[in-house]
Amino acid sequence: MSDQATHVLLIEDNPGDADLVRLRLVEGKSAVDVNCVNRLSDGLDSLKQRSPSVILLDLNLPDSQGAETFRKVLENAPNVPVVILSGQDDEALAMKALHQGVQDYLVKGSISSSGLDRAMRYAVERQALLRSLEMSRKQQLEFKNQFLSHVSHELRTPLTCIHQFTTILLDGLAGEIGAEQRDHLKTILKSVNQLGAMVRDLLEASRAESGKVRIEPRCVAIGELIRQAVAMMQPIAHEKEVGLEVGVDTRIPFVYGDPGRILEVLINLIENGIKFTPESGAVTVQATLVPTDPDFVYISVTDTGCGIAPEARALVFERLYQDPNAVDNNRKGLGLGLYIAKELVSLHGGRIWVASEPGSGSTFSFTLPLYSLAKLLFPVITYQERLRDDIVLVKVGMRPLCKPVRANWKETCQRCLEVLQRCVYLDKDLVLPPMTASGADETFLVVASTDLDHANIMMARIREQLEKVPDLKGTGELEVSALAVPVPDRSAGHSLEEQVQEVAGTVGEMVRTVLGGEQGSTE
Amino acid sequence: MANSKIMIVDDDPDLRQALRLRLRANHYDTLNAADGYSAIALAYKERPDLIILDLGLPAGDGFVVLDRLQKDDKLSAIPVIVLTARDPQSSERRALQSGASAFFQKPADNAELLDVIRASLSQVTSGPLPS
Repeated sequence: MSDQATHVLLIEDNPGDADLVRLRLVEGKSAVDVNCVNRLSDGLDSLKQRSPSVILLDLNLPDSQGAETFRKVLENAPNVPVVILSGQDDEALAMKALHQGVQDYLVKGSISSSGLDRAMRYAVERQALLRSLEMSRKQQLEFKNQFLSHVSHELRTPLTCIHQFTTILLDGLAGEIGAEQRDHLKTILKSVNQLGAMVRDLLEASRAESGKVRIEPRCVAIGELIRQAVAMMQPIAHEKEVGLEVGVDTRIPFVYGDPGRILEVLINLIENGIKFTPESGAVTVQATLVPTDPDFVYISVTDTGCGIAPEARALVFERLYQDPNAVDNNRKGLGLGLYIAKELVSLHGGRIWVASEPGSGSTFSFTLPLYSLAKLLFPVITYQERLRDDIVLVKVGMRPLCKPVRANWKETCQRCLEVLQRCVYLDKDLVLPPMTASGADETFLVVASTDLDHANIMMARIREQLEKVPDLKGTGELEVSALAVPVPDRSAGHSLEEQVQEVAGTVGEMVRTVLGGEQGSTE
Repeated sequence: MANSKIMIVDDDPDLRQALRLRLRANHYDTLNAADGYSAIALAYKERPDLIILDLGLPAGDGFVVLDRLQKDDKLSAIPVIVLTARDPQSSERRALQSGASAFFQKPADNAELLDVIRASLSQVTSGPLPS
């Protein structure tokens, strides 16, 4: 540093002050070159060209005043040390600047060359130190993630070995075993499965921490998903003799979320509920609509367990939190389940919280955004402040030809969706977000503002284009059909919003019937 | 009818043995390979009906094996089930794109794995099933 010239960017509009600073800089010992500009915008432009060693900044410039000035500079040059040149009367502002990341301030009029030299050198050193701390923090985080990923991979091999040989013994593949031996082997298997779940959570939590968890939102029938989660957890509840019940408000429209991730949250919460509920207690999963918060569905998991002390309620979602008073003969987990649940819910734009009555149980609740058909439909089914005359629902069903389904079937479907999106008119047709698929069949739906005759032309175009998708050929079967959507009577005097709402309701019902019928036929 | 022949590719001898016991109990014949190179050589020689493939292997990892199998007309029709300790988020998509027909993370559920093996074999021997 000391061998090279210090590049100073001086942003100062008063020529007298600028000259004085320049003079003091030249008097100092270090070699400096000074670039002086008198407007903030020029300073920011100069930063784009070249990064200086240090910025000397006057706060009151023709195009920016006060705190705004250093905020903009810090934002544009986060790694360059900034020293403020303040007037006698704005030291309070200078202090504020220090709190926000400015390195130092000098009061104009009492600037000596040695003082200026020292302030600049210290500013540069401090900034370098901060930067290297930040870098090493990032490196550590990255290292930790790699480490966890490596460890969880390496742990899986011996884990798999124990799992495999235990099941081989249990299944009698190595000869008959007695009842007591069977019991012991089951205990081993249970422990191995717990260990497997911990390894999975470890990786998931480290990913959540570094923001590497992705969600792929779809249109999700939340009731189905809750029932699926409950069915998956039923054996564990049964084994512990804990009741597991579902209460889903049937009027709940679709939710916009990643079905796999939502399932993960549900399973985490249900598992937790069962764990802390004593024998003959019950865990209840509910989904309801709350009139005061119409854009979200409220999902809750209530247990009749020991409850959570008020002081612990804020902590349960923290990483590695474990209930110190858990009077439970179950083994503790890693304390990552609720942390992961919280991260997944907030990725969806929802909230998660807990209410609890110590001694009588807890209720974990979370919200997920509802999928609003009316909001999506409004711009396409209206034209010049009125509802369009004809609306059609086009269904594009894709069914794989082979079972089991070829591995890239999902990708093929995704490609078809992209092609489909190019087959419609953006201003009057809408490809609905994909629905939760029950099994391998995929159904895409298009709301088209057109009559059935024109829909036929559109369907021919869709068929023609989709048949060109290379992977679909030979692997899947295509079915395209259309239904007219009844349009409300415009003379009834309802507002446009109400009319759209009505159409959305009708479309929602039709979608449900279309998908429901399909589920019925595949089961 | 002769038993189907399944090739197990895994560098861990204990895991190979466990899988062999499991498959034999379900009336499959098994072959073993411990690295990528011998897996490809053995596939040429023995023409297995199905391959269970680990990804982390010495001498040509699982992706190399998948690639070589895909590029060979005589071997590309053999269904390959990937069974690996690796994280699905980082390798499932790549494995499927490279031609694997299914992906399982270790430890896999035995019943599920056997279901997929059975289904993959029936697809190859009897052609596509009517939907």
